[in-house]
Amino acid sequence: MSRIKDLQKNLFGGTTSNARQFGMIFTLVAIVLLFQIWTNGLTLTSGNLIAVVSQYSYILILAIGMLMVIVAGHIDLSVGSVAAFTGIVVAKTMQEFALPWPVGILIGLAVGALIGAWQGFWVAYVGVPAFIVTLAGMLLFRGGNQYIGNADTVPVPEGFRTIGAGFLPEVGPDTGYNNLTLLLGLAACAAVVWRELKSRQTRREMNADPAPMWISVLRMAVMVGVIVFATLRFAGGRVGTSLPISGIILIALVLAYSHYTRNTIGGRHIYAVGGNARAAELSGVKLKRVNFLVMMNMSVLAALAGMIFVARSSASGPQDGLSWELDAIAAVFIGGAAVSGGLGTISGSIVGGLVMALLNNGLQLEGVGSDMVQIIKGLVLLLAVAFDVYNKSQGRFSIIGSLTRPFRRDDPSPPTDRPSPASDSDKAPVAG
Amino acid sequence: MRKYLTRSAALIGVAALLTLSACGSEREGTAAPTAGGSAAPAKGFAADGLIGVALPSKTSENWVLAGDLFTNGLKEAGFTSDVQYAGASTTVADQQAQISAMVTKGAKVIVIGATDAAQLTTQVKQAKEAGAVVIAYDRLITNTPDVDYYIAFDNFKVGQLQGQALLDGMKAKKPEAPWTIELFSGSPDDNNAGVFFNGAMDVLKPLIDKGDVVVGSGQTDVKQTAIQGWKAEGAQQRMDSLITSTYNGDKKLDGVLSPNDTLARAIITSVKGAGKDIPVVTGQDSEVESVKSIMAGEQYSTINKDTRKLVAETIAMVKSLQAGTEPTINDKDTYDNGVKVVPSYLLPPVIVTKDNAAESYANDPKLAPLTQG
Amino acid sequence: MTSAPVLLEMRSITKTFPGVTALADVNLEVRQGEIHAICGENGAGKSTLMKVLSGVHPHGTYTGDIVYQGEQVRFSDIRASEHAGIVIIHQELALVPGMSITENIFLGNEPRKRGGIDWKAAQRRALELMAEVGLQEDPDTLIKDIGVGKQQLVEIAKAFAKDVKLLILDEPTAALNEADSRHLLDLLRGIRERGVTSIIISHKLNEIEAVADTITILRDGHTIESLDVKADGVNEDRIVRGMVGRELHSRFPEHTPDIGEVFFEVRDWTVRHPISADRLVCKGSSFDVRRGEIVGFAGLMGAGRTELAMSLFGRSYGVYLSGQIFKDGEEVQLRTVSDAIDHGLAYVSEDRKAIGLNLLDDIKTSMVAAKLSKVSTRGVVDPVREYRYAEEYRQSLRVKTPSVDEGVTKLSGGNQQKVVLAKWMFTDPDLLILDEPTRGIDVGAKYEIYGIIQRLADQGKGVIIISSELPELIGLCDRIYTVFEGTVTGEVTRAEADPEHLMKQMTSTKKTPIR
Repeated sequence: MSRIKDLQKNLFGGTTSNARQFGMIFTLVAIVLLFQIWTNGLTLTSGNLIAVVSQYSYILILAIGMLMVIVAGHIDLSVGSVAAFTGIVVAKTMQEFALPWPVGILIGLAVGALIGAWQGFWVAYVGVPAFIVTLAGMLLFRGGNQYIGNADTVPVPEGFRTIGAGFLPEVGPDTGYNNLTLLLGLAACAAVVWRELKSRQTRREMNADPAPMWISVLRMAVMVGVIVFATLRFAGGRVGTSLPISGIILIALVLAYSHYTRNTIGGRHIYAVGGNARAAELSGVKLKRVNFLVMMNMSVLAALAGMIFVARSSASGPQDGLSWELDAIAAVFIGGAAVSGGLGTISGSIVGGLVMALLNNGLQLEGVGSDMVQIIKGLVLLLAVAFDVYNKSQGRFSIIGSLTRPFRRDDPSPPTDRPSPASDSDKAPVAG
Repeated sequence: MRKYLTRSAALIGVAALLTLSACGSEREGTAAPTAGGSAAPAKGFAADGLIGVALPSKTSENWVLAGDLFTNGLKEAGFTSDVQYAGASTTVADQQAQISAMVTKGAKVIVIGATDAAQLTTQVKQAKEAGAVVIAYDRLITNTPDVDYYIAFDNFKVGQLQGQALLDGMKAKKPEAPWTIELFSGSPDDNNAGVFFNGAMDVLKPLIDKGDVVVGSGQTDVKQTAIQGWKAEGAQQRMDSLITSTYNGDKKLDGVLSPNDTLARAIITSVKGAGKDIPVVTGQDSEVESVKSIMAGEQYSTINKDTRKLVAETIAMVKSLQAGTEPTINDKDTYDNGVKVVPSYLLPPVIVTKDNAAESYANDPKLAPLTQG
Repeated sequence: MTSAPVLLEMRSITKTFPGVTALADVNLEVRQGEIHAICGENGAGKSTLMKVLSGVHPHGTYTGDIVYQGEQVRFSDIRASEHAGIVIIHQELALVPGMSITENIFLGNEPRKRGGIDWKAAQRRALELMAEVGLQEDPDTLIKDIGVGKQQLVEIAKAFAKDVKLLILDEPTAALNEADSRHLLDLLRGIRERGVTSIIISHKLNEIEAVADTITILRDGHTIESLDVKADGVNEDRIVRGMVGRELHSRFPEHTPDIGEVFFEVRDWTVRHPISADRLVCKGSSFDVRRGEIVGFAGLMGAGRTELAMSLFGRSYGVYLSGQIFKDGEEVQLRTVSDAIDHGLAYVSEDRKAIGLNLLDDIKTSMVAAKLSKVSTRGVVDPVREYRYAEEYRQSLRVKTPSVDEGVTKLSGGNQQKVVLAKWMFTDPDLLILDEPTRGIDVGAKYEIYGIIQRLADQGKGVIIISSELPELIGLCDRIYTVFEGTVTGEVTRAEADPEHLMKQMTSTKKTPIR
C-alpha cells in the first residue's frame, strides 16, 4: 500500500492541472490502445505515426502559442487567418520574385511578427479585449489572404516543401533504419536519464527527500521505453521517410517553450498576469509588455504553422487555416488550462492536441465520416472540461486517488511533491 | 545505492529490449517505390483489394450520390471500399488526412474528388510511393507527377453547352438582340470552374464583342464572377448586389450564366426576392430541386452529367487495374496538370431543358417521376 | 420627539461567524419619525447589525428578536424586509449604469399592465418621486451620465417607490462632495418631516451631530450607549469617547525604537481620481519617514490613505498631478512599479486576496514574485535558490505550512499575510508601506506581525502603517499622521497620541499646522 502511495505522490500528485494532465495521458494511452486493437495494429505502424505527426504538427505548434495566450487570460481567434495570410504572402513573393526558400521563411516569420505587433498593440496598449481584436483579425487576414491570392491556389517551390513534407536524410551504413532518427532517439534517452538524475540532485539540494529510487527508475524505464519505441517506429518507416522535419520543429519548439514558461522570469510573468493581473502589476510585472509579447508570439507561431501547412500542401490556398483556432483552443483546454487564465502547461496542451489528433486519425482509419468525427471531438472536449470542473467541485484532485478510494480507509495526505519536470515535457512530443 | 544503480540500469535495458523486439523495421519486405510515377502497375492486385474514395464535403447532392454509388458499386464488384467526405469547415486538411489514412490501410487504388486541386501533392506522392494508383475523379489534381488517370465529363463541352443554352433560351423569349446578361462562375480553387467558364465564353464572347449580348454590370473577369466554395449564399449575395447596383430601375435582365444548379437556384431566389422577372438561368448537375424548377418554368436549363455513368466508368477503370490491364482512355493530350499530361477518360455531357427532360431522365429513378407532367 | 412610539426594537441580537463574534447581545431602539445614527469604529458591527435587520442574514442565523411595528418579524431574505417597508441603501449603490433613471427606480418593482410593463405609469410616478427627492433631471437620462450625488438621490427615490417606512443609509456621504452631502442631509430632514424613519451609518461625526436625533454607539460588537442628541447635549467629542473608550491592552511586543535620519520625504503630493477628473484623491499631502521609524497613517475608510500609498508606489492609482518624492535627499521619479521597487519601496496592499497575491500560486512562487531577478541567472529561475529563500522566510516568519510547495489558498489569513510580507521583504526595501496589515487576522497572528514590523524597523528600514484601528497605530507607531479627505491634516508623536485627539483630526477638515 505504501508503494501505491509513493507512486501516487510522485507520479500523479501535485496541483490540479498536473492531475488533469496525467488524466489526459491516461486517455491518450487508452485511445492509442483502443485504436491499435480496433484497426488491427495500423495505428502504431511507422507509416501512420509519421503521417499523424506531419498532419498535426502545425496544430500543435499553434497550441503552444495558444496556451500562453490563454494562460495570460486572453484568446486568439485569428490564428487560422494569420496562418493563411502568411502562407499566401510567402507563396506569392517567392513566386513573383523567385526568392530562395529560406528567404521565404524569414519573410513569413517577419509577416507573423508584424501582424502580432498589430494585434498586441490593440490588446496591450489600447486595451481592446483580445477576443474582439482577434475576431477582427480573423476577418481582416482571411480577407487579406483572398485579396492577395485572388482566392487562387499558389504553389511553392520544392525546397520550401521540406519544412512540411521533408524527412531526415538517409546517411551512414544501412542499418535497416533511418540513422539520424536513431541518433536523435539515443540523445533523447540520454537526456531523460540526465534530467531525472539532475532533478534528484535538485531535490537533495533543497534538503527535500527525492522520490524513492525505484520510482525514479520506473519513471526512467517507462520514458526510455516510450522513446525507444517511438524512435524505432519513426526510423523504421519506408526508405526516405523518418521523423518528419515538421515534427522536429515541433519538438524543438515544445522543449524551448516548456523551458521558457516553466523556468524563466518571462514565463513566470505570463502566469502571474493570468492569475491576478492587478497583483502582478503591483509586483512590478510590466503588464502591457507581457500582453503584447504573448499576442505577438502567437502570431509568429501561427505564421510558422501556416508555412508548414503550405509546405506540406505544396501550395497556398484560400481554405488554409479554416477553423484551426478552434482545434488549437480545444487542445489547450483538453490539456488542462483554465478558461480564466493563470493555469495550464505546454506539455498538457500538447497531450490535449495529441488526444484530438489520434482520435481523428483512428476514426479516419476506421472509415468513420468527418461528420461523426466532429461530433465525437466535440463530446471529448466537453467531457474533458466537465470532468475537471466536477473534480474541482468535489475537491478531488487525484485520478488515482479516486480509483483506489474504495480500497482505502484513510484519506491520502495531500501530496506535496510536484512530479519531476522531465516526466511530462519530454514524453509528450514523442508519445504519438 | 550501487545495487539500485545496477538494478535500474538492468530495468531500463530490459524496457528498451522489450520495445526493440516488439517492433522491427517496416523497411524489410516493402517493395521499392516505383520510379518516377510511371502509369499503370505491371500487374493487378487481389480481387478484394481496398479501394479508397476521397470526396469533398457534402455540399452538393451530386457528391452525396456519388459516394453512395461508389460504396454500393465497389461492394458489388467484390472490392473492399472506404468512402470518405471532407468535413464542412476543414475541407483541405481533412481530405489530406483521409488520403493518408487510406494509404496507411494499404489501399490499392485511391479515387480522389479533390477539394483543392493543388494542395494534395504530398498525399498523392505518399500514395504513389506506397504503390497505390491515383485516379482524379471529376477534378484534375494539379502540380504533381503522381496522378495516374483523370476521369470526368468533358467540362469545356459543358461550358459550351451552357453558353449555347443561354442564347437559345433568350432568343425564345425575345427574338431581337441585344440581350442583357450577367455571368457567374464557380469556386476559384476548383480547376473545373475555369474550364466551364472558358467553354461558355467560347460561345458568348463573339456575341459580346459584336454587341448583341451585353453584360449589364460590365463584370466579365473570372475574378469578379467567381463564387468562393460554390456557396449558394455567395451567389445570392452577389446577385442581390448586382440588382441593387445595375437593375434597380426598370432595366431588364434577360439571362444569367450560372455554372451549376445550386448557384442557379440561389440566383433565382435573389431575383424573385427583388420582385423581378426571372431571366433565363443555366445550370448543371441535374439536382432534384433544379429539375423541379425547370419543370415549373423557372430555371431554364441544366446539364445532365449522369453521376451513375461517371461512377460506373470509374469502377470499370478500377476493375481493369485489378486485372492488370490498361484501362480505357479517350484523351491523351488535353489535360496538362502543370507537371504532366494526365491520361483521361471523358464522358459527353447532355443539355436538358423543359423540352427534353422526360427523355433525358427516363432512366433515372429519382428524376424521371418529376418530369411526368 | 422622544415621546413618539417605538417603530423598531432589536433585542439581544447575537451573530457569530466562524471564529468571530460580530454582534454580542446588541440592542437597538428606533422611534417613529426620527433620524437615528449608528456610530462605531470599523469592525464594530454596524453593517452586520443592518444586514441582520434587512434579512441579508436571514432569521435563524442569529439569535435575538426583532420587533417592528409592534410585531415580531422574521425576515427570510431582503425581499421580505422590503415588503415590510425596510429599505437599505448600501455604500456601493445598487444601480445599473446603462439604464435610465426611471428604469432604475422601478427595477424589480415595475408597474405592470396586462403582462407588460406600464412605462407610462412608471414615467409619471418617477417624475413625482424625483420631485420629492429634489432631483431635476430628464427621467430618461442614463445613470452613468449623472454624478454620484444624484445617483444617491435616485437610490432614495427607488426606496420611496417601494413605500419605505424605515430607510437605512450606509455611509451615504462617503463618496459625495460637500454640496451634495449638504443636499442629502437636507433631504433627510425633509424625509423626517414626512414621517419616514431613517437610520444612518456614517463616519462623519460632524454630519451626525448636525442631523441625528438619537445616536447608538457600538464597539466590538456590543451596544455601548444610546444618546439623545438634544437632551444629552451631544457633541463630536462625546461620540468619539464612546467609540474608542476601550482600554489599550498590552497587545504589542516590547520595542525600543532606534530612529535615524529622515531618508524619505514627500512634498505636496496631489493626485486625481482615475475616472472623474474633478475629484482629487490626494490634495497637497506632505510627510517624511526616518530610518528605523514606524510611521502610522490614521484616517477613516475612504479618507484617501490607500490612494496616497498606491499613487506613491509607481503611480499605481489615480492620475499624478504634482508633488515630489525625495529619497536620501535626492528627488526620484517613480513612474512604474518596477521603478518603485528598484528605489527600495514596497507596498503591501490592504486586500491581499484581490490584489496582493496570485491565489493560483504556491508559497515559494509567491514569495519571490516581486523580485525574480534575485533567484535567476540570465533570466532562468533557479529552483534551488527559490526554494532556499522561501524556506528561510518560512522559518523566520513562522509560516504555518508543511511545505513551501503548498498553494497559498490553503493558508489562514495570518499566514497569507506573512507570505505577502515575505514577498516584499524579499525585495530588500528601504521603506515598507503596509496597508491594513492586520485586517481579518486573529489576535495571535497580529502579535506576530507586529513583531515582524518592529524587527524590520530595527534593521534600519522605514515602515509606514495604514490602519483604521487607532489602538494599533498608537501601540505600534513612533509617529502618526492623520489623513482626512486626501490631505494630511496633522501629526502627533507617540507620546502625544491619544485616541480622542486623533479621532477628531480624522473627522474634520480643520487643518492643524504641521510641526
